[in-house]
Amino acid sequence: MSGALARLASAAGLQLEWYGGDQAHAAVPGAEFSELVSALARRATLSDLFATTTIKTPPRLTAVLQVADDPAWLLLTADLESTRFASLTAQVHAASWYEREIFEMHGLEPVGHPALGPLRLHHRPEDQPPVPDGRGETAAVPSRINSRRRTPSVTGQGVFQLPLGPVRSGPQESAEFLFYSGGEDIVEVDLRLGFKYRAIELLAEGLRADQAIQLAERLAGTSAFANGLAFTRAVERVSGVDVSPVAESTRALLGEVERLHNHFGSIARLAEATGLLVAAAQYGLLKEETLRTAGRLCGHRYLRGVLRVGGVQVVPGADARAQLQAQIGDWTQRSDRLTRLLEQTSTFLDRLDTTAVLLPDYASEHNLVGPVGRASGIDRDVRRDHPYAAYGSVEFDVPTVADGDAEARFQVFSRELKQSLGIIRQLLEHWPADREEPGVTAWHEGSALGWAEAPGGECLHWVDLDGQGRLLRWRARPPAVVNWHPFAHACGSGNNLTDYPVIEASFSISAAEFDR
Amino acid sequence: MSRWIAKGLRTGIRTTRFPQAGVRGEEGAPSAIRLRWQGLTAVEGLEAAAICPTSAIETSGTAEEGELRFDAGACILCGRCTRRFPDAFTPVENPRVAVRSRDQLRTTLRWERGEAPAPVALAAAASAVQQAGLRLFRHSLHIRHVDAGSCNGCESELQMLSAPYADLHRLGLFFTPTPRHADLLLVTGVVTENMKAPLLETYAAMPAPKLVIAAGACAISGGSFAGGPTTVGPLDRLLRVDAYVPGCPPTPQALLHGLLLVLGRASQGYRADQEDQGGA
Repeated sequence: MSGALARLASAAGLQLEWYGGDQAHAAVPGAEFSELVSALARRATLSDLFATTTIKTPPRLTAVLQVADDPAWLLLTADLESTRFASLTAQVHAASWYEREIFEMHGLEPVGHPALGPLRLHHRPEDQPPVPDGRGETAAVPSRINSRRRTPSVTGQGVFQLPLGPVRSGPQESAEFLFYSGGEDIVEVDLRLGFKYRAIELLAEGLRADQAIQLAERLAGTSAFANGLAFTRAVERVSGVDVSPVAESTRALLGEVERLHNHFGSIARLAEATGLLVAAAQYGLLKEETLRTAGRLCGHRYLRGVLRVGGVQVVPGADARAQLQAQIGDWTQRSDRLTRLLEQTSTFLDRLDTTAVLLPDYASEHNLVGPVGRASGIDRDVRRDHPYAAYGSVEFDVPTVADGDAEARFQVFSRELKQSLGIIRQLLEHWPADREEPGVTAWHEGSALGWAEAPGGECLHWVDLDGQGRLLRWRARPPAVVNWHPFAHACGSGNNLTDYPVIEASFSISAAEFDR
Repeated sequence: MSRWIAKGLRTGIRTTRFPQAGVRGEEGAPSAIRLRWQGLTAVEGLEAAAICPTSAIETSGTAEEGELRFDAGACILCGRCTRRFPDAFTPVENPRVAVRSRDQLRTTLRWERGEAPAPVALAAAASAVQQAGLRLFRHSLHIRHVDAGSCNGCESELQMLSAPYADLHRLGLFFTPTPRHADLLLVTGVVTENMKAPLLETYAAMPAPKLVIAAGACAISGGSFAGGPTTVGPLDRLLRVDAYVPGCPPTPQALLHGLLLVLGRASQGYRADQEDQGGA
């Protein structure tokens, strides 16, 4: 391997151990970890940082990095000698929420972190029994986390608080937003998540990997397939299983169907937030038609129950594929026409223009992912940068816009729709012949990373399996884990309270995917 | 703006005639699974329980003597049993799958001395009061939804109720932002520790008489997350539930059926242990 990643690693003096050509592991001493990751993050992108703790082994930190123009990932691990480590946040802003999670869930303290508040746990009594991990041992649980005390972060004459949630106005997910306002303007938003914390990763520990796919698919309903796929691919990498071309095409096809129903839904919500009920209804029709097509293709409207280790359970039949091919033209035409109409509707554009701005500098400091990142000039997409499934064999563009406002995010949604429709057309035109697939013959011990581009962005899953294929540790880093962080910042960038529905719709982000 | 009005008019009416007429376009995506006990041997029953990822199919005993408990309320429609044993576990495409009583989602088979499995007892029929529904809200019902810890799949389907295909307003059904105006509490998701208090507060803030619907496998039984360390469990441990809508997530039509069922405007079309009853 002589790619950009290998050069970066050798410059840092790392000994790389390669897994299948697309991921390299390196172990470093605990004391050097933070300094090394900070140094690497100047030229690489920190995509994940997480901890693994058990009673018998020392606490371990893992950093996941990627560099531009190299399809490989770098996984850097370090065993800590104590429960403290030097915080990266001052050098690498993207590490901030990862470190808060490490502190909250594993009790490892990032020394020097500027704001170590809780993210998910609300009322954890100090004597709460520790949560068991997959080895039948108990994980170390911090004793310091207790109920959250909230102090006003903004004070001043005329500043008041306006709480919204956790029970919201319509059929929406539970999350709490505390607005600080002087009347109309949003001065700041205090975001409280974690209401839906189901502890999915903990629940899966000890299960055999093929039985845990259904949990990965239920991490978030609207990105069920992408999360399931990233998880399944991580398991396949550990087990050394090959996937047949027809399964790879099915995976790419359904991944794009999921993007279609998400983006149709996102634009529908944007239209609703701006009072354009006809537009909302039109995109609602498109979303419902996509969900029904998904049902015909694989038996589930949200594409669940399709994946298995080593392939897929269902290959879309010739009839369903032909029907989809006929629909693609219709959807493209209708979607194009609706986008043009929206772009000519001033009441729509006025509400989106300069609303919730995320500047490109901010976006790159926080390594934002998906449409939110691409609307702030971040040109990343794992379908192109780290090709998987059948994405290596189709042509598509990754649209980016540099404005960083809600209108830019709308433009990214509508351009991505066009690209997804194009990808589906190419996949259907070159559909591979059916082939028997072996699936898993023997489980192997080890750990690996899997990835997929969810509708909301880059989705990473890391698994550690034992010799029987049981999960010792599963780390899910879906896009919402990254993209909730800038949400509060975007709300506070000179917007009014009435902009809030537009901001939320333009982010199109799931609370369940963050809470997990 | 006039162009939008023209666009809307040109599109015409796309709304289904549910519940008056059958539903089209939902083929392939079942609303529930039914157990046809005649199509199952004891050995197959034991194997089905082993591949079921939730507690929807559970067995005890051996192939000689044992028991199988099927719970459609815990079924997440993963399709493993229907693909493996298509004679015994059959997909239900009729969206009228909501039921008034939890028992109607369950059935138990027993086998002894190596004989074929047979049902122990049929689930109790809904009581007269339950069948009648609450006539008070027949023509206008205001719904307060609470996400008690879902995956966002149920919310996505609930949002589709307002889209043109399902269009719940034509049936006199409305979502309301405030519990003070709500007649019905629609709960999705397994109840998490963090959502227990907001859920109970919302219920307490509703004026009596009030109805409760548990929508989706998580709210009915815990689904995939049953027994999790940060969850309280199924909704009916906390509140009296008037109707259960199975599914993962329930389809928009199944949700509409559940709403009409508690109002006495639709009849039950599904029982875990019986052939399709049709029903409207």
